[in-house]
Amino acid sequence: MMREKATTLYLGPQHPGITGNMMIKLKVEGDTVVKAQTHVGYLHRGFEKLMERRNWLQSFTIVCRICVPEPDPNELNYSRAVEEIEGREVPERAEWIRTLMMELSRLASYLLWFGGQNGSAGLYTMPQWSVGDRDYILDLFEELTGGRVYHMYIWPGGVRRDLPNGFADRVLQTMDYLEKRLKQYDQLMFENTIFQRRAQGIGWIDPAKAVEWGVVGPPLRAAGFKSDVRIDDPYLIYDQLDFEVPTQQGSDVWARALVRRTEFQQSINMVRQIIDKMPGGPVYNKIPNPMKWTIPAGDAYVKAESARGEFGYYVVSDGSNKPRRVHVKGPAYVHGVTLLENILEGANISDVSFIMNSLGTCPPEIER
Amino acid sequence: MTENSLDKEQQIVNHLVGTFQNLTGKVKRNRRIEVSIEKKQITSVLNYVKDHLGFIHFSHMSCVDWLEDGYFELVYILWSPEQKIQLLVKALVDRENASVENADMIWRQLNTYQREIREMFGVNFIGMKGDKEFILEDWDNMPPMRRDFNTVDYIQEVYFERPGREDAQNVRETISKRTGEEIPEVATKYSRD
Repeated sequence: MMREKATTLYLGPQHPGITGNMMIKLKVEGDTVVKAQTHVGYLHRGFEKLMERRNWLQSFTIVCRICVPEPDPNELNYSRAVEEIEGREVPERAEWIRTLMMELSRLASYLLWFGGQNGSAGLYTMPQWSVGDRDYILDLFEELTGGRVYHMYIWPGGVRRDLPNGFADRVLQTMDYLEKRLKQYDQLMFENTIFQRRAQGIGWIDPAKAVEWGVVGPPLRAAGFKSDVRIDDPYLIYDQLDFEVPTQQGSDVWARALVRRTEFQQSINMVRQIIDKMPGGPVYNKIPNPMKWTIPAGDAYVKAESARGEFGYYVVSDGSNKPRRVHVKGPAYVHGVTLLENILEGANISDVSFIMNSLGTCPPEIER
Repeated sequence: MTENSLDKEQQIVNHLVGTFQNLTGKVKRNRRIEVSIEKKQITSVLNYVKDHLGFIHFSHMSCVDWLEDGYFELVYILWSPEQKIQLLVKALVDRENASVENADMIWRQLNTYQREIREMFGVNFIGMKGDKEFILEDWDNMPPMRRDFNTVDYIQEVYFERPGREDAQNVRETISKRTGEEIPEVATKYSRD
């Protein structure tokens, strides 16, 4: 057969199918991708450099802005790293509230993913539903923290304020609503043959290579690995909650969707458990005057399970009132570059955005 | 935490200290180990812990600029899914003509980390393939994540004030003059001027 002439196609940096400002340079023969190359550089804001010139508390106001769909793991990791280096204790109730925030954040992030995954397949009803439903969680965030997207709530020493009166009831009502909606999501997405046919068998990640390639989160669990930071390296109060780590064997877009769907239900259950078991007490261990607050010399790498996988922070202190280095590692750093480049080879052009969404690629955390 | 609970971690440290010359290590806490090596040992230590000690998951790689001491610190963060232990491998590299061996044949995703560190700190990874540019474009200045890169000087050199704003006038005062509104006392009190 005569070899077709290869064409270069630039997908992004401004493209509805790309989750943020990023470009994928595709070499295509006909409709088939033969080579993919990720290009970043459209979103670099220099957060890590900015933090070297700001004190420990000023830096805290920057970290949440690193990732729009899921800012809370940034706040949590930064705070935990500072606490680990300094040896600062966190009140028990604050740990429970932090866990509540993390699970609500996971639900909000998955709702955005439901929309993105379906939108990139041309199924536009789901994004209208799920992004609308996400707003109910953002309402809760707004009531608790004052901010809908960026919260600046989980800070070193605990959380900024306790739950408002009646907040727990409103959280439970929202969980009941989301659980009811999940059944409708099933009908619209998982029982939809169009979605099934689009998702099954594409974007396959070789399970034998998955761990070595640095795949984390739902894509790793969809490749059959029972891997979750909440279980493997427990933090907050996850060891006191009852939950399962779902796995699938398909390692394709469909398997990743099923893992996320099960985790969505698990998170709803976890939120209910947290509300039920949350102890009383203080929520904050006061830090010294922020302008004079120094952290002893040392370093720490802390990680949390975000909706997209292991989210890490490497923080170094030289003993002064500013961080020496804050280095952020989001799951997209691997998923959006080496992994994506690899699994796009052989894919159809129309599946590129679909596969990218299934990996939870978030360009802002690649370049920070 | 009892002494015994750190046995597994201490055994790994002892094993590595016994295997590699000039390697020092310590158990930081439960599930956390840290070792310091020479830069020429980087690929051999990373290969060894991956193949023989189960640290198959590569979590992160970072670079810290210790300007005052004249070196960069490269940090490789690994995870053993089986033993549930995190290992930090640290190596110091001179800031002058900083170069180390490429290690992306051990974990392919290391290539991305190395490309960023080459661009942002100017560390050369000998034998590394891949595009020269990662985040920056047409950059011919000092690598910007180095501590001696002066951000303010760079901004003043490259960017310019919007016409009409050259005198860096106080925005609040200008608006107040224009509209005749009084500046609240609290705003004056906490003004940056």
